[in-house]
Amino acid sequence: MKRLLIILLAGLMAPLVQAQPASLDDLLRNVRELRSSEQAAMRERETRFITERDQQQRRLREAEQALAGVQAEADRLKARFDQQEAELAELQAELSQRSGSLGELFGVVRQSAGDTLSQWQDSLLNLKFPERTATLQQLSESRQIPTVETLEQFWFTLQQDMTDSGKVSRFDAPVVGRDGQQQLSPVLAVGPFIAVQGRDYLIYQPEAGQLLVAARQPDGNGLASKFDSPRTGLADLWVDPTRGNVINQLQLTPSLWERVQQGGLVGYVILALGLIGLLLALARLAWLQRTQQRVDRQVADLDNLDTGNPLGRVLGVIGAQPKLEQLDTLELKLDEAILKETPALERWQGLIKLLAAVAPLLGLLGTVTGMIATFQAITLFGTGDPKLMAGGISQALVTTVLGLVVAIPLLFMHSLVAARSKALVQLLEQQSAGLIALHLGGDERGEERRGA
Amino acid sequence: MLDGLWLLRDFLDSGGWVLWTILWVTVLLWTLMLERLWFLGWVFPRQAQGYQQAWQARADRASLAARHIRNAWLSQAQQRLNRFIPLVRVLIALCPLLGLLGTVTGMIQVFDVMALSGNGNPRAMASGVSRATMPTMAGMVIAISGLFCLARLDQQSRRALQRLTDRLRHD
Repeated sequence: MKRLLIILLAGLMAPLVQAQPASLDDLLRNVRELRSSEQAAMRERETRFITERDQQQRRLREAEQALAGVQAEADRLKARFDQQEAELAELQAELSQRSGSLGELFGVVRQSAGDTLSQWQDSLLNLKFPERTATLQQLSESRQIPTVETLEQFWFTLQQDMTDSGKVSRFDAPVVGRDGQQQLSPVLAVGPFIAVQGRDYLIYQPEAGQLLVAARQPDGNGLASKFDSPRTGLADLWVDPTRGNVINQLQLTPSLWERVQQGGLVGYVILALGLIGLLLALARLAWLQRTQQRVDRQVADLDNLDTGNPLGRVLGVIGAQPKLEQLDTLELKLDEAILKETPALERWQGLIKLLAAVAPLLGLLGTVTGMIATFQAITLFGTGDPKLMAGGISQALVTTVLGLVVAIPLLFMHSLVAARSKALVQLLEQQSAGLIALHLGGDERGEERRGA
Repeated sequence: MLDGLWLLRDFLDSGGWVLWTILWVTVLLWTLMLERLWFLGWVFPRQAQGYQQAWQARADRASLAARHIRNAWLSQAQQRLNRFIPLVRVLIALCPLLGLLGTVTGMIQVFDVMALSGNGNPRAMASGVSRATMPTMAGMVIAISGLFCLARLDQQSRRALQRLTDRLRHD
């Protein structure tokens, strides 16, 4: 066991013994060399640090010097700024003190220039002073302080308008005639109210800067020509105080024929039926009048029976030489003859009455279709704009009017025709036998006339 | 009196031309009805007297020929009595129609005003509205008063004819 331990120890000790330097002197020399080289490096590093430190200190001094300069400059500028600020406030105070209420004035000038411009937009006097709207436009839109000249010009323009509003003036202006041709022609203007050329009233069109001959002239426009003609005394002239609105609205008022057209198809049908009925009634009236005259002539002369009238034809069936006693037996023949005559006397009466009754019904039909159109318009566009409903409503009303206008004279005519024919039929039915009896019985006509 | 005339004129003008037409119809209607009343009261009794005398003067009042003659006379009398009555009837029927016509033309005027100036101006529509209402009222008043008078005329003339029929007796 001991032996084994010794062997192990010997094995472990062997490398230690081998690493030992060759000699101690060598070791010493090595150490000395190492030490001197290290000392040299140390010294070198130290000197480098020292130079670097000196350099940094120099730079620091330089930077501090620069900072001091800039600081001084900043102080100087700040002082100057403060001083100028104070000066500015002082100047502004002086400015507001000196301008006083003028600033307000400029605002008012601009606003009133704009207002005047909008008022004069459709004024007739623009034709006389064509440049004034442009001047006003400039004045109302400019952002600069207006000069004294501009202000005086504005005042002068207002005064000019005021003066010319009270004047009747003649000047040349572009006028579009009825033929659509525009030409420069002399115009008579009464202030901004109306313009007249010859005997025509004119409408001012601001967009085109021209006058248009009004398509619908006011009634009694002879006044304009009377005013224009050479005269010694005063003359009347119609003036539109609304500066053209009345004449413009006059253009929108429909004429009689346009009203009839508003009635549409139903309106035309009513008019056609009315025309037919009227012609028929007139023809019947003329025919009945002629027949009445012939019958009257026949009553006055019963000896000569004429087949040209109903009474003559009815009495003709009795024969050329009737006897009073035969009259009773002939009554049946008379009745038959009267029955033949009646339809001719009453012909077309039913149709006239029918037309008179149908016309208001057609008017009602037109009313209903017009109301349907109106309610369709309401469904589509709502009730906000009465103008959209106007078409249907005018159809409704115009057809009603047409129906009544047709029905009233037709009823009247029917009454006349019916009265005429009824008198004739009555004469035939009730008086023919009596007439012949009187005639044959020797009672002369004087007796039946006595009562009259 | 003159003031009354001016008031009437103002009333008629507020109703427009339709009211003037109704006025003329009324004048015609009442002229005819007054003529009828005068005829019934004064003229016809004398004519009836004439017929009666002629009838009494006849020797033969029983034969068929005489009956025919009597019928002819009665028919003539009836024609005279009923003269203008159909015209009066139609004039009375026309009055409400004219009133309706006035209503519709007035409404057209109202809608014209609405189309021109919108519906914000009731004062502008007032003239159209009075044109619409006045003729209607006038037409109704005339027609109703005329109907009363016509009924009375009808009754009186029927009675007058009946009396004449009774007086021309058969033997």
